[in-house]
Amino acid sequence: MRIEIAAALAMLTFGASIAEAQGVLTIGRREDSTTFDPIKSAQNVDNWVFSNVFDVLVRVDKTGTKLEPGLAESWTISEDGLTYTFTMRDAKFSDGSPITAKDAAFTLLRIRDNQGSLWSDSFKVIETAEAKDDKTLVVKLKTPSAPFLSTLALPNVSVIPQKGMEALGEEAFAEKPIASGAFVVKEWRRGDRVILEKNPNFWQADRVKLDGVEWISVPDDNTRMLNVQAGQLDTAIFVPFSRVEELKKDPNLNVEIDTSTREDHLLINHEHGALAKKEVRQALDMAIDKKAIVDTVTFNLGEVAYSYVPKGSLYHYADNLQRPYDPEKAKQMLADAGASGLSLNYVVNAGNETDEQIAVLLQQQLLKAGVTVNLQKVDPSQSWDMLIAGDYDISVMYWTNDILDPDQKTTFVLGHDTNMNYMTRYKNDQVKDLVAAARLEQDPAKREAMYVDLQKMAKADVNWIDLYYSPYINVTRKNIENFYQNPLGRFFLEDTVKN
Amino acid sequence: MSTVHVSDWNLRWSRWLGQRVTLAAGVSILALFIFAAIAAPLIAPYDPIVHNSELRLVPPSLFHPFGTDNFGRDILSRVIWATRIDLQIAFLGVIFPFLIGTILGTISGYFGGMVDIIFMRLIDVVLAFPFLVLMLSIIAILGPGLSSFYIAMALVGWVSYARLIRTQMLVLKNSDYAVAAVSLGFSNSRIMFRHLLPNAIAGSIVFSMSDAVLVLLNGAAISYLGLGVQPPLAEWGVMVAEGQSFISTAWWITFFPGLSIVVLAFGLSLLGDGLSETLGARQ
Repeated sequence: MRIEIAAALAMLTFGASIAEAQGVLTIGRREDSTTFDPIKSAQNVDNWVFSNVFDVLVRVDKTGTKLEPGLAESWTISEDGLTYTFTMRDAKFSDGSPITAKDAAFTLLRIRDNQGSLWSDSFKVIETAEAKDDKTLVVKLKTPSAPFLSTLALPNVSVIPQKGMEALGEEAFAEKPIASGAFVVKEWRRGDRVILEKNPNFWQADRVKLDGVEWISVPDDNTRMLNVQAGQLDTAIFVPFSRVEELKKDPNLNVEIDTSTREDHLLINHEHGALAKKEVRQALDMAIDKKAIVDTVTFNLGEVAYSYVPKGSLYHYADNLQRPYDPEKAKQMLADAGASGLSLNYVVNAGNETDEQIAVLLQQQLLKAGVTVNLQKVDPSQSWDMLIAGDYDISVMYWTNDILDPDQKTTFVLGHDTNMNYMTRYKNDQVKDLVAAARLEQDPAKREAMYVDLQKMAKADVNWIDLYYSPYINVTRKNIENFYQNPLGRFFLEDTVKN
Repeated sequence: MSTVHVSDWNLRWSRWLGQRVTLAAGVSILALFIFAAIAAPLIAPYDPIVHNSELRLVPPSLFHPFGTDNFGRDILSRVIWATRIDLQIAFLGVIFPFLIGTILGTISGYFGGMVDIIFMRLIDVVLAFPFLVLMLSIIAILGPGLSSFYIAMALVGWVSYARLIRTQMLVLKNSDYAVAAVSLGFSNSRIMFRHLLPNAIAGSIVFSMSDAVLVLLNGAAISYLGLGVQPPLAEWGVMVAEGQSFISTAWWITFFPGLSIVVLAFGLSLLGDGLSETLGARQ
């Protein structure tokens, strides 16, 4: 009896331990996936797995700065910038059926029209998408759009099979999709892990070295790091800044630091009292010591930010204004603007380590300029609603780019869109018009000049306060090679090797 | 007992000594913390709030006996200043439930009948919810902060005191001196609060000491969840929470405030034990 129990226990623990199969890469992350229907998520947890399972018409390269052919072998754009003609590559879905222009057209119209699509706004510009034959896709736009090609690289517009989707139904597809990428979903244990295996029908199947991949959710940062150190996981992503130094010293581990497009910034509610004055916002910018944040919060792994277009991404303006840290002058400027003794309500995400640390730092720094900051810790779900309702003075948020082109972020942040310029209520009609014009401009040089102007104008008006840029930090065991992300977050698992 | 045997005497002596030692140890630990709280500005070596980016994550040393945290704040100074808030939590978190519970329990037990039924059903309703869940929902409605915590404690914590006193009252109101007081025509409130309550309260006082331990831990837990003490104020629970992410690299950030919680809780428990023996012996 006792032996039986022991055996059962041993089996249980063995079953619960992390699989050790050769050639299967185990990756620890904070959360589990939420769906495999690409149009129904806008979260990195999903998008990063979508890129393993699906392929897109146009890909972003490893550096995150150039587009390269994906399922579309080549394409031509008409003179007026309205008609795009794509030639499809010879490729197959995981069920063996060919990937045709029909499937691509279905994909584009689905993301535009489907009720559940979170991305329909980005694809409203499409007038028609038609398959002329199995290999030729013709897309007509309503207006010229410079960022259109780069939106096709979004993992959310991954090509899915029309017949397969219709046969399975949306719900079944979202559980166990038909793949067009390097891996197929073998099993999804919700809340625990996603198990992928190599897709033999992938058009670049000979490039894939791994037999499979397991994305395992280990929410606690400390536990996830310990799992890699103990060899129970091959890699872990989301390494906390505070752990990098220590993990680097471990002879069994490599710490991978990859450029990202993440920028953390301080949102300002322009509709609240003195914050409507440009001078007050400029004074706040000068009262914040960004270097201290980089030192304390990111352990020097981040960099001071000075433009909303992150460093290393397209049209980033390296000579943008950086106001010096000068609390005395800030205090004087606030007094001149009639805002002495300013008191601000700062909404903080409770339980978010980085957010809470920044809050404690900013509270101290702003006090030196005579600004009292009242911290209001709330649940993350509640804080988002408060920002939308304008129920805040300041709050820290971050943004990572989904596409290579700066248009997406610019529209959100300065385009005077429905989201009130990322909840800041910033208003400047000149900026608004320039954002719209930059989207249409087809000449890259002219377009770059427009984005440089936008970065200068945003900085002059202090639409928000840029705080810092930070990289992606992942840790791998020494036997793992080529595990990296491009700045848009895509993991190139088709190149990863487990020795 | 007419004759006292030597062995019996020894037993009594050692018991008496045991009580005194427990009580004395409890009192001295509490006194130590009260002293730290009062004298915080004098004995804390550094400012508990000001950041110092050059002295981040310094391990315990001569200059910083408890080390520094990720903002370069001295842990020893923060632990000392936090004593003020944590003692306040233990005191205010107990006194309101104690007062409310004692008054309601006395009335309920003394009068009985409908009054008793109503109060007892009310207690059942409060007890039907898990303690922490009820606390958290009250704080969620009132907004984070210590005053919300005290209000929540008062709304939830009184039930134990009410039950304790009520049970005592049910027994005492039939005792000879109570009957005598009634026949002398004393008012109900005089009988309740001057004759019966002083004889019923000992159990509650003892209970309040162990309750203070629970309140202290609850306060720390609520602050740990970000709903209690707000930064930059130092509180032991908050400090443990702040140090959690550094636990493998800088253990001292969590260790010392955690140790303080344990020691104060231990002191209060000793005090409670000592009191229970001393007061219990008198009855």
